[in-house]
Amino acid sequence: MEAYLLNLVILISLYSILGVTLNFIMGYAGIYSLAHAVFFGVGAYAGTFMAMHVNASIFVTLPVAMAAGAILSLILALPALRVRGEYFVAASLGLQVLAVTIFSEWKSVTGGIGGLIGIPPLNIAGFEVFKPSQFIFVTVGALIIILFVINRLVHSSFGRSLRAIRDSESAAAAFGKNVPLIKTISVVISSALTAVAGVLYASYLSFINVESFKLDTSVLIMAMVIIGGTGTQAGPIVGAALLLLLPSLISYLDFLPQTEIGSIQQIIYGLGMALLMIYRPGGIVGRKKQSETGKE
Amino acid sequence: MLALQLTITGLQTGALYALTAVGFSLIFGSTRIFHFAHGATFIIAAYLFYFVNVSGYGLILGVIAATAGAIIFGLLLNRFVYVPIQRDEGSFFTVFVASFGIGIVVQNVIGMVFGRGFVTVQTPLSFSVEIMDGLFVSPLAWISMLCAAIFFGILWCFLKYSQMGKALRALSDNPELVRVFGLNPRFISACAFTIGSILVVPAAIISGATSGLNPAMGHHVMLISLAATIVGGIGSVAGTLLAGLALGLAESLALLYVDSQWTEAVTFAILFLFIIVRPSGLLGRSAAH
Repeated sequence: MEAYLLNLVILISLYSILGVTLNFIMGYAGIYSLAHAVFFGVGAYAGTFMAMHVNASIFVTLPVAMAAGAILSLILALPALRVRGEYFVAASLGLQVLAVTIFSEWKSVTGGIGGLIGIPPLNIAGFEVFKPSQFIFVTVGALIIILFVINRLVHSSFGRSLRAIRDSESAAAAFGKNVPLIKTISVVISSALTAVAGVLYASYLSFINVESFKLDTSVLIMAMVIIGGTGTQAGPIVGAALLLLLPSLISYLDFLPQTEIGSIQQIIYGLGMALLMIYRPGGIVGRKKQSETGKE
Repeated sequence: MLALQLTITGLQTGALYALTAVGFSLIFGSTRIFHFAHGATFIIAAYLFYFVNVSGYGLILGVIAATAGAIIFGLLLNRFVYVPIQRDEGSFFTVFVASFGIGIVVQNVIGMVFGRGFVTVQTPLSFSVEIMDGLFVSPLAWISMLCAAIFFGILWCFLKYSQMGKALRALSDNPELVRVFGLNPRFISACAFTIGSILVVPAAIISGATSGLNPAMGHHVMLISLAATIVGGIGSVAGTLLAGLALGLAESLALLYVDSQWTEAVTFAILFLFIIVRPSGLLGRSAAH
């Protein structure tokens, strides 16, 4: 039971990192990305590559993974500078599909569809973290640091510029804001921080394959942010906790067939997304009527 | 010979892509609703056809059931999801998320009822015939192309000459003026959903008989429709038609150079390039911003 709870908390904090970083570009910059799992994957593969072939210390794996995420995020920034709204959703979908093909075909780095096994545990200054009871401090700590960083950013002049761009790009440009630069920086920051979650995830499971970085994951992360509340601080965390608790809650209901739990979970969150959009577009944490979030 | 074979297969796929994509494009162009559950309409129609067929009621009843199912789903979704959201002037994103959620629900419900594996509808037309030395074409290829030609012919006449067709085009230009003119935009939207959903049916049925069905293919259908709509230019039915054909051909001809797992990537590389280089599409009118 204790191991089960530890695992759950670790996963919730990892997915919260993913949710918080997606919320940063989605809720504050209006960049609706369906390719968030790509950067999660890039972080995981880059970190793993360093850990297996160079050095498992987080002072090597984390910076490399973050740099890889940041550089590749420029591919996402490119369409984001040209278009917005539905066009960007399509572009990010395209990126997600391309990335999954590359993840499963580039066998020398990603191990193909079979994935990579035997990933070394996290090494913090010579101290190896492999017990879940220790790992939990790492993930929760990382979540707190990332929350703090994003909180600072959102409440700085940079954050105000972001929201200005979200609400009206032309107005922000008219006020002398460098719209392309601000958008690019926000995507780079978000992707670099997402890569951190990838490194932690890979070393926690000591196994990764392409299944964790598919469109389903991007959709799940997006659902977490939306159900929790787009553009709010606590929303993504509430959403992550809720959606990860859902499968275990369902498995307590004995009358449901165990093999269908995955489907039932998806049906519940699909319905949840649709109903929330009709009655409460701001999400659980967000305000009732949408006046600040998500409007173009 | 291989190139010719792939061209014919590509045209078959392209004709089906074009039909599905034009359905989406028509709905999106006239109502501005980002109908992501269009892929769900596709699998509902396809599985209804499959179900009626397997139960032994024959092809014709299958076609009727599939058409009815697609229309009813489209109209219900419009009435109970999109209209309430639009009443509060929901943004594009609110509509998209709701639609996406419904798509997930449909995919999983169908997966629970019919299983998640592939199913195919066996018809005598599915088998390929050798029409030339080493060139195999199934009659369904000609049927797909013929179907596409007939449906687009009717659609073109409808949009050009009928009162409702003109109203649909007017709605995409300016919903306010449509209201001032005394037409009911909600009725016109319902018509757009009816027509858009009907256009999915032939593609759904023929796919069931050729490549087979599975509940997760709604995503793929939606991705293709979205790609064709954007590459063709939002609001342009002719552009979407061309883009759908082109994407089908590109996917098929790409097999000359790359392995089959890369075909979807080819589609998205094209989409990605278009979004960056020419966001208004082949025949598009408006810029993306």
